[in-house]
Amino acid sequence: MFDSFAQFGHEFASFLTIGTILTVLWATFVGIVIGALPGLTATMGVALMTTLTFTRPHSEAILILVCVYVGAIYGGSRSAILLNIPGTPASACSTLDGYPLARQGLAGRAMGISTSGSWLGTLFGTMCVALFTPLLSEAALSFQSYEFFWIAVFGIVIAGTLAGGDALKGYIAGFLGLWVGTIGQEPYYNYARFVYGWSDLSGGIGLLPALVGVFGVAEVLLAMRGPAYKVTSKALDSAIPRIGDVLQYWRTIVRSGAIGTFIGVLPGLGEDTAAWSSYAAARRASKEKEKFGKGSIEGLMSAETGESACVPGAIIPVLTLAVPGSAPAAALMAAMMIHDLKPGPMLMIETPQFFYQIIAMLVIADISKLFFGLTLVRPLLWILMVPRERLMPIIFVLCTVGAFAITQRVFDIYVMLFFGLVGFVLRGLKFPMPPLILGLVLGDLLEQNLTRGLVISSGDVMPFFTRPVSAVLAAITIFSVLWSIPPAQRGIKSGLRGLFRRPRRAG
Amino acid sequence: MSTSEPQPAPAPPPASILPHEVPLPPRVDLWTAAVFFAVAIAILYASWLMPTYRQQAGQLYTAPGLVPSFYGTIIALLSLWLGARSIGRGALKRGIKAPGAKREGYSDARLLLATVLCLFYAIGLIGRLPFWLATAIFVFIFVLLFEWERGQAWALRARRIAIAAALGVGTGWAVLYVFRDIFLVRLP
Repeated sequence: MFDSFAQFGHEFASFLTIGTILTVLWATFVGIVIGALPGLTATMGVALMTTLTFTRPHSEAILILVCVYVGAIYGGSRSAILLNIPGTPASACSTLDGYPLARQGLAGRAMGISTSGSWLGTLFGTMCVALFTPLLSEAALSFQSYEFFWIAVFGIVIAGTLAGGDALKGYIAGFLGLWVGTIGQEPYYNYARFVYGWSDLSGGIGLLPALVGVFGVAEVLLAMRGPAYKVTSKALDSAIPRIGDVLQYWRTIVRSGAIGTFIGVLPGLGEDTAAWSSYAAARRASKEKEKFGKGSIEGLMSAETGESACVPGAIIPVLTLAVPGSAPAAALMAAMMIHDLKPGPMLMIETPQFFYQIIAMLVIADISKLFFGLTLVRPLLWILMVPRERLMPIIFVLCTVGAFAITQRVFDIYVMLFFGLVGFVLRGLKFPMPPLILGLVLGDLLEQNLTRGLVISSGDVMPFFTRPVSAVLAAITIFSVLWSIPPAQRGIKSGLRGLFRRPRRAG
Repeated sequence: MSTSEPQPAPAPPPASILPHEVPLPPRVDLWTAAVFFAVAIAILYASWLMPTYRQQAGQLYTAPGLVPSFYGTIIALLSLWLGARSIGRGALKRGIKAPGAKREGYSDARLLLATVLCLFYAIGLIGRLPFWLATAIFVFIFVLLFEWERGQAWALRARRIAIAAALGVGTGWAVLYVFRDIFLVRLP
C-alpha cells in the first residue's frame, strides 16, 4: 500500500518540471478549445494529437493526450451553456440545464458548477483507476483465448445496445467495423483478404486515419451543412465554483461519479452515455424533479460529474484488457501501441511504472482543468465567436496532416476521406459510430483468440461456453441481444414476473 | 367504499438513451437494410472464394475465410432484421412521408460545396504543389466561397478577400512551422 503511494508520488514528482507543466497547460488548453468548439470532438482531438506527438518520448506524448482528452470533455460544457450547442456529444446533456441557467443570467454560475462537477468527477474516476485496475489486471491474467474472444464480442454487443439510439443499428455498425478489421493479411497464413491486388491494403486499414475520418472529416461536413451558431450572451457573472453547491449536492456527485466510472469501464460506451445515465439517476433521486430541464443545478452537476468520471473509467479496460471504454480511449490505446506500450493484463507486469504515470497524468490534467476553469472564461467566449467558415478548412488541413503523419502514406489520406464520407452517411442514417470504431479496434483480438481457442481445442467450441468466466460473458452477451428484441424482452419480463409472483391460495 | 380514479396510461419508455436522436422514416431503413444485405452477400461470396489450405493440413477453423464469413452471416441476419422491422413499421405502405425532412438552417448546397473543396484539396492539390501552398490555396478558396454574398459592398468584399488570403497564408505557414519544425512530423 505504502509502496504504491511512494511510486505514485515518485511519478507525480517527475512531472513537476517547468517544461512538463508548460506542456500540461498548453495541452489542456488545446483540449478545452477542441471540446468547446462545436464540430470538434475529444476523439478527433486525441486522434490528431496522437499522430502529431508520436516522435516525442512516450511519457510526454501520453501526457499530452490525457490532457487533451480530459480538457476536451470538460470544454464541451462551455458551448453547451453559452450556445445551447454541445461542444462534444458528451455535453449534449449539459444543454438541458446549462443553457436555461445562462438565459436566467447565471452563465458564470453554470460554468462554475460545470468546473466543480467535472473536477470532482475526474478525481473520483482517477481514484477508481488506482483502486480497481490492479485487481482487474490480476483477474485478467487468468483469462485465456476463450475469455478474450467473449470480451471482444461482449464489447461489440454492449456498445451496440447502450451507445445510444438504435441497438440494432449499433450491432450492424459493430460487425461492419469487425469486417473492416479483416481487410489485409490474416494472422494464420498471412493470406491477404479483400485486397484485390491493392498492395496498400495488405497492411490493413489504419485505426487512426479511420478515426480521423469518422470523427474529423464527418464533423467538418456536418458542421458546414448545419445552421451557424451564434453567441447570444456576452455578459457573464462570476464563474468561481461555490462550495455550497458542492456540499449541498455531494450525494449527486458521488452517485454520478460512480455511474460515470462504471459506464466508462463498459467497452465502447463513452462519456455521452455516462452523462445521460447520471442525469437520469439524479432526476429519479432528486427532491426537486420539477427543476430538471429548467435550470437545475443538481441536473447540470450530475451530467458534468458523470461525463468527467467516465474519462478515467474508460482508461481502466485499456490498461487491463486492451479494450477501450470509449472512442477517445480507443485513440489513446492506439497511441500506447505506437509507443511500444502493451495495453492489457501484461502491462502491470511489464511496465508497472506506466500505471502510476497514468494516474499522475490524470491528476495533473484534472488540476490543470480546474486552473483553466477559473481563468479561461472570457477568452473562450472570443474563441467561440470564430465563424465556422474560417475554422473548418483549418480543421480539415489538420485532419489531413494527422492521417498522413504516422505512416507517411498518401493512401492513409484516402482512407481518412473514405471513412469521413462513410461516417457522414451512416450518421445521417442514425448509426452510432462508437461500435464501428470498437469493431475496428477489437477485430484482431476477436479473430486471434477465436482461432487460437479453436486450435487449442482441436475445433471443439464447447470450451467457449463451459469455462466459468466464458459462460458468464456468453450469457450476458446473449441476454443483451435478446433484451434489444421487443418480443423477446416482453417474454423475459413476463417470465421473471411469473417466477417471482406469489402463488395464490385456493379458496 | 373507496372509488379509485382512472389512472392515466403510463408513458411509453424512451426508445433511445439519447433523447436528441429522432428515428428515421421506415422506408429509409428498408433501403439501408437492402444495401447492407447486398454488402453481406458480397462478403460471404468473397470469403467462399478464399483458399482453405487443405493441402497444407489446414483445418476448417484456420481457413482465412472463416471469420469474415461469420461477420458476413451476422450482417446479413441483422440487415434482414432491420428490413423486417421497417416493413413492420410501415415501410411498404403508400402515403407515408418523411416527417420533418427539411430542417431549418440545413443546406445541402453548402454540404456539396464543402465536400468538393475538401476532395479537391486532398486529391487534387496535395502532392502536386508544395504543402504550404496547397494549404494556403485551399483555405483561401474555402473561406472566400463560403463568405461570398451577392450584392455585397465592394469595400466589405475587399476586406473579406484580404481576411481569406491572410488566413490561407497564415495557416500554410503555421502548419509548416508547428508540425515540421516543432513536432518533427513529415508533411504530405
